[in-house]
Amino acid sequence: MAGFLLRRLFQAIFVVLVVTLVVAFAIRLTGDPALMLTQGAGSVTEEDLARIREALGLNQPFFVQYGNFLLGILHLDFGRSFLGGTPVAMLIGKALPATLMLAFASMLVSIAISIPLGIKAAISRGKWPDQTIRILSLVGLSFPNFWLAIMLVLLFSIFLRWLPPSGMEGFTSFIMPATTIGVILTAYNVRLVRASMLETMQFQYIMVARAKGLSENVVLYKHALRNCAIPLITYFGLQFGGLLGGIVVIERVFNWPGLGTLALDAVAGRDYPVLQGVITVLSMLIVGVNLLVDIAYGLIDPRIRMEGRD
Amino acid sequence: MFLRKRVWAALMLAALVAGPLATTPAGAAGTMTVSSPQDPGSWDPIDTFLVNWASVATNIYDGLTYRGPDAKLVPGLATSWEELDGGLRIRFHLREGVVFHNGEPCNAEAVQFTFNRLLGEEGNKGPQRSNYTAIKAVDIIDAKTVDFQLNKPDPVLLTKLAGYGAMIVPPKYIQEKGDAHFNANPVGTGPFKFVSYEPKVGIKLEAFPEHWGGAPKLDKLEYRFISEPSTAVAELQAGRVDLVIPPTIPIAMISTIKSDPRLDIVTTASPTVYALRFNTGNGITAKQEVRTAMILGVDRQAIIDSVLGGQAAPIASFQGKLSFGNDPQMQPLPYDPEKAKALLKEAGVAPGATVQIDIRGNDATFNEVVQAVASYLQAIGLNATIKPYETNVLLNDIIPAGKTGEMFQQSWGGWTLDFDNTAYLMYHTGEKWNPYDSDKELDAMLESQRSITDRAEREKILQSIARYAAERALEMPLYNLNAIFGVNKRVKNFTPVPDSRLRLTEVTVE
Repeated sequence: MAGFLLRRLFQAIFVVLVVTLVVAFAIRLTGDPALMLTQGAGSVTEEDLARIREALGLNQPFFVQYGNFLLGILHLDFGRSFLGGTPVAMLIGKALPATLMLAFASMLVSIAISIPLGIKAAISRGKWPDQTIRILSLVGLSFPNFWLAIMLVLLFSIFLRWLPPSGMEGFTSFIMPATTIGVILTAYNVRLVRASMLETMQFQYIMVARAKGLSENVVLYKHALRNCAIPLITYFGLQFGGLLGGIVVIERVFNWPGLGTLALDAVAGRDYPVLQGVITVLSMLIVGVNLLVDIAYGLIDPRIRMEGRD
Repeated sequence: MFLRKRVWAALMLAALVAGPLATTPAGAAGTMTVSSPQDPGSWDPIDTFLVNWASVATNIYDGLTYRGPDAKLVPGLATSWEELDGGLRIRFHLREGVVFHNGEPCNAEAVQFTFNRLLGEEGNKGPQRSNYTAIKAVDIIDAKTVDFQLNKPDPVLLTKLAGYGAMIVPPKYIQEKGDAHFNANPVGTGPFKFVSYEPKVGIKLEAFPEHWGGAPKLDKLEYRFISEPSTAVAELQAGRVDLVIPPTIPIAMISTIKSDPRLDIVTTASPTVYALRFNTGNGITAKQEVRTAMILGVDRQAIIDSVLGGQAAPIASFQGKLSFGNDPQMQPLPYDPEKAKALLKEAGVAPGATVQIDIRGNDATFNEVVQAVASYLQAIGLNATIKPYETNVLLNDIIPAGKTGEMFQQSWGGWTLDFDNTAYLMYHTGEKWNPYDSDKELDAMLESQRSITDRAEREKILQSIARYAAERALEMPLYNLNAIFGVNKRVKNFTPVPDSRLRLTEVTVE
């Protein structure tokens, strides 16, 4: 297990390094932050621009800049935002929990809906509940999530005035964004749960469990669900990782103070330190979640743990 | 079994709907909430050029001069001033008894500190310094009098002292707490004092009753940063935001806001003007007759009425009516497609000749405008294609490098409302925004007005620059867009400002 973990850890560090290098290099191709900062200025001379570049450390060669950035990360220092000089670590420290909480709430919504619906669809295969669930899933897959978001805002914020249309102000703020993301995820997940359950239900141990006279609920939730949990956990784990960087649009629509909003603003403002910081943290998280999924395998299925030892 | 599923379904529904959970309305008594599209990241006056810095900070700070919604320059922290040494020295007499929000006195020392900082090491790191390089030094004459020594006369300096980098800052506070602390915890002498700031979320202010101009009528003033227009409008409709400031509300959303009986749209002319500038260096637009023909061929008034819903005014030169240097006598070229066709024929342009128009891809309204322009050009026999760019690429790479098509979008407008800020940068040889043209006569006029402090004489030169540029058809002047505010009707006494420098001392909420 230790060897396996170590190997994975090295792989993870390598991936993060490559990602940061690509991002640091690519954003420098897209425009000069000194020009961005002086866009509203009446008269800007080359001298002014040189002065600002020097203050931002942009006059150094690329690999010096990148090296400083990496050294900073070792001390959890991601530098300061070009726009206003706020420490990037502080910006991420505020945005990361917001994104994590929203991603978590969305997964919760999705899992809470898709597991019972997926099981229902599986056990009534071909009958009307299965058909209905599959059609609903198709509908869910077909419409864009920002459209659902706008409709929810119209109904619950503008007409009914029950929920805040944007911002993160407490429990009520989570309901609409988490539902929007959750519903879309459910459209995928319900199919996965259904397929996974159908496969598991064919095994002989299910027949044995039934023959023992166990109640249908015990058969479904204890025997069948547990055995089809492996592909589901893999998938949910990867989905969670993907969500962290993938809910940009929803963060934007709901003005959610998360990593997506931070990254978008940084791209628009050519704020290198903020963008590099966000991408580094995101890639660490996604790689980390993948690692956790691997470890969770071992906990659920002892056979994998044994293999890891070899 | 079936019952169990029903329980599940009910739970799911409950989770989705969650019942009528109360949402906080914008207005506790005396509190106003403003939606602003951008967090400037720092509240230090020397750090930024973003207009959305000013829409907050105009309430926190004062300058030596003040310019309100009527665009007239009046005394601020200085009660009077006089020009000495032929415009090379300005003496300011400071207002007595002014204190910063932290209790520090605002005196000659604070003024000197402010400008030493702006023009010194700290200011070097930021973009504001370049606007104030005419200042050589600030000398303290006595506690209530300062002299500004100038390198050269700057006719726009008094206006520049009313905003941005020239806001007076507290010396002791900054020296004790440091610049980084000041960025996030601003202290000024303005009518509202800082309470709290959450990056990317919002900033909260409260009334500063000791303000020299009298206590503001609101108790609290809160800003929320909302970049997505539809989200800001939803917050306005939900009654959680009282005012949405520009540049947020797109033309297409005006009717939505107007149809809500609780809301209103308030507009005023802004400094921002739109033009399609010509590539005078190469292609068919190198010829002046072709450029004139293209202007004649586009019905700009019809575009304003239909695409912009009337929220703009036609312009004859690259400036709006508020601009110093605008000549109200000057009229835009008329819409005359027949004359346009004749001119094109005369210039030897074959029907079907192509024209490429480069625009900012993210500007939805201007996208529609330019499509209309393209179809007008089609009607006079030119084949126009539209090429959208990411804004920063267009501004930083394409235009300055002279890589545009025959025409390119330029939206411009400085808060100083002085035509020099446009004309010099657009027309003077070698300037970043002038990649194609070089005209010695124009250069001479542009340079001459920069050292004249006589307002009337300077205005005349600026007006003749505008006329000269129009005669040479250096751009197709399109329109001066309104600044559009969405406001809840519970807000009273709100006067829209043209330049985003919003000061909300007179406003009340019901």
